[in-house]
Amino acid sequence: MAARVLRQSLSVPQAAATALQLPLAIAPAGSPPAASLSQLWLAVHLPQPDPVLLQRLGVLAQRFTPRVSLEPPDGLVLEVQGSVALFGGLAPLYRAFRAGCRAAGSSPMLTLAPTPLAALAAARSGVSFKVLDQQHLVSAVSALPLAALRWPPQVLQRLSKLGVYRVGHALRLPRAGFARRFGREPLQMLDQLVARSADLRPPLRVAERFRAQRQFVREREDHAQILQALQPLLKQLGEFLEARQCGITRLTCRLRHRNQTHTDCVVRLAQPEAVAARFLEWFAERLGRIALPGPVRSLELRSGELLSRAPVHESLWQPSEHGGGGAAGSASGSLEFIERLRMRLGELAVHGLICQDSHCPEGASRSLSPADPNFRHAAGAIRAPQIPGQARPLWLLETPQLLRERAGWPQLDGPLRLRHGPERIESQWWEAHGVARDYYHATDVHGIAVWVFRERQPPHRWFLHGLSG
Amino acid sequence: MNALARLLEHPGIWRGRSLTRIDTLSSGFPELDARLAGGGWPKTGLVEILATHLGSGELRLLLPLLAALTQRPQARWCTWIAPPLMPYAPALAARGVNLSRILVVRAPQDMQWAPEWATEQALICGACDIVLTWITQPLKPRIVRRLQLATQRGRTLAFVLRPWSARIAQQPSHALLRLGIEPQRNGDRSGVRLSILKSRGGAQGEWWLDLDAAQAAAGV
Repeated sequence: MAARVLRQSLSVPQAAATALQLPLAIAPAGSPPAASLSQLWLAVHLPQPDPVLLQRLGVLAQRFTPRVSLEPPDGLVLEVQGSVALFGGLAPLYRAFRAGCRAAGSSPMLTLAPTPLAALAAARSGVSFKVLDQQHLVSAVSALPLAALRWPPQVLQRLSKLGVYRVGHALRLPRAGFARRFGREPLQMLDQLVARSADLRPPLRVAERFRAQRQFVREREDHAQILQALQPLLKQLGEFLEARQCGITRLTCRLRHRNQTHTDCVVRLAQPEAVAARFLEWFAERLGRIALPGPVRSLELRSGELLSRAPVHESLWQPSEHGGGGAAGSASGSLEFIERLRMRLGELAVHGLICQDSHCPEGASRSLSPADPNFRHAAGAIRAPQIPGQARPLWLLETPQLLRERAGWPQLDGPLRLRHGPERIESQWWEAHGVARDYYHATDVHGIAVWVFRERQPPHRWFLHGLSG
Repeated sequence: MNALARLLEHPGIWRGRSLTRIDTLSSGFPELDARLAGGGWPKTGLVEILATHLGSGELRLLLPLLAALTQRPQARWCTWIAPPLMPYAPALAARGVNLSRILVVRAPQDMQWAPEWATEQALICGACDIVLTWITQPLKPRIVRRLQLATQRGRTLAFVLRPWSARIAQQPSHALLRLGIEPQRNGDRSGVRLSILKSRGGAQGEWWLDLDAAQAAAGV
């Protein structure tokens, strides 16, 4: 009776599970469809929980497949079906992975199964388990102890009272009753175990960074020598980034001296960069400005976070040749130029300009850092209608300059002639530093067009705020 | 006669007038275009503008050119180096300048060399259409020549804006063009007095120009 229930329940959701798996596997051309839909999971179980080792094995596993997920604290599963062809068969892949684990200093339990949970449960129970197709899966997992599924202790205890110790026994129980007594979650796990429902796992994402060190036999003091020593490290970094199609925006070089002291030399970039020669140029720029407190004993290079970097396409034509060079931003040369200026003059020295919605004149213009995502994509020209009285000056003083007064008239090397105005600007009155001003366009004694304002609140002082250029 | 014409085409032969056939860009002021060699600003090269005061009208003189250059689809950077004050984005946008092509470079106070160095970098990199540099300190003729050569390398147009003093005006210049600008009132109308102090392949002269009227006429 129980067996019949199982068979019924097996037959119906099977189709659903296959449908779910369809988009997950990419079928290689020409292979039989049945084989291409299947998955094959390799599970790793460490004898002792070791999060550091697990992370290392996770990184190792990513060499074999992108579908790696960790089962902390001691498990790891990876889908290998898609990679079998690349390694020339399952056996070479398995051997290569085992060798990689040994090299990492561990010989964990490895199992193979069509579902991640089955592989994991088998690895945890410590039995040699290599099931390659789904037909033999149910019979193979039936022998595994239920404890390997790591259900809550009270569930396992109640199941053991019923005499249910093995997976096979649990699979034979009626579904509805099982769900009512032990909850939906264990039932869901049983379905995933035998591929009746999809088992979607978050893939492992490793936050990679580059780190390399170099010790000197003799202490170095000369900047040129230090740069020379830095060169191979930067080359390594360049290769590291190139292989990952990534760039970095932050790179630190730590120069260690005697007595545990060190000097940090940091390069920050506006756009992700990956070319070693440019890093060297920038470090040369940076190091030249640092006074070292003493000779350097060792170097350490640390990258910031890796960022994906769109490959730069170089224009076929030189700039301005047949309209070559592309738009200003797309040519890599222009970014290099901006970086060079930033390195030498400081990070805040180079910026773009952008209009902002603000009634307050100071707030309407903002400088835009090259690191800003809007840089190079800022809105184009906005042709605001020019009303003579409301024209804006071309130059703005960052802080308005107080003007002298004579008999109530503002003076700037002499009396100002007011031409247009007033234009009343009031904003942010709800804040303490709100502005309430009357702006005038004026001409000074030399004939220069200026933009001045008079405070609306006492003491009604006059200020110079802009020049028309 | 035919042989002579062919001989004169030899690249090694330099004739005074040959430079008048330079590529030019309209300044947006018909009166100015008529007086400049080739009928406008040179497309590449160094132009010095000496202004008696900051705000004499030197920027308004360049605005039509900046608007035309930055609005092209293939526009490169328009770089402002060491501007004396903050360029005001809404005013520039209102006059048709495409802000996404503008790059402002500020020179830290303690780096005297920064404006010259940054200008040279901007000129040779080939990523700029036009470079405006404000240099207040004395500029050696050797540096001006160097910048002039740099404009050829990067095919860039450079404007060096300097204060107009008698001493600077007397210095010889390697620039293609040297203009003086002074605010001057003509009756009730305010405008500028423009002087062409040096023009390679053009004539010297000075006249009065109403910048605002010319811009209003051009619809800017």
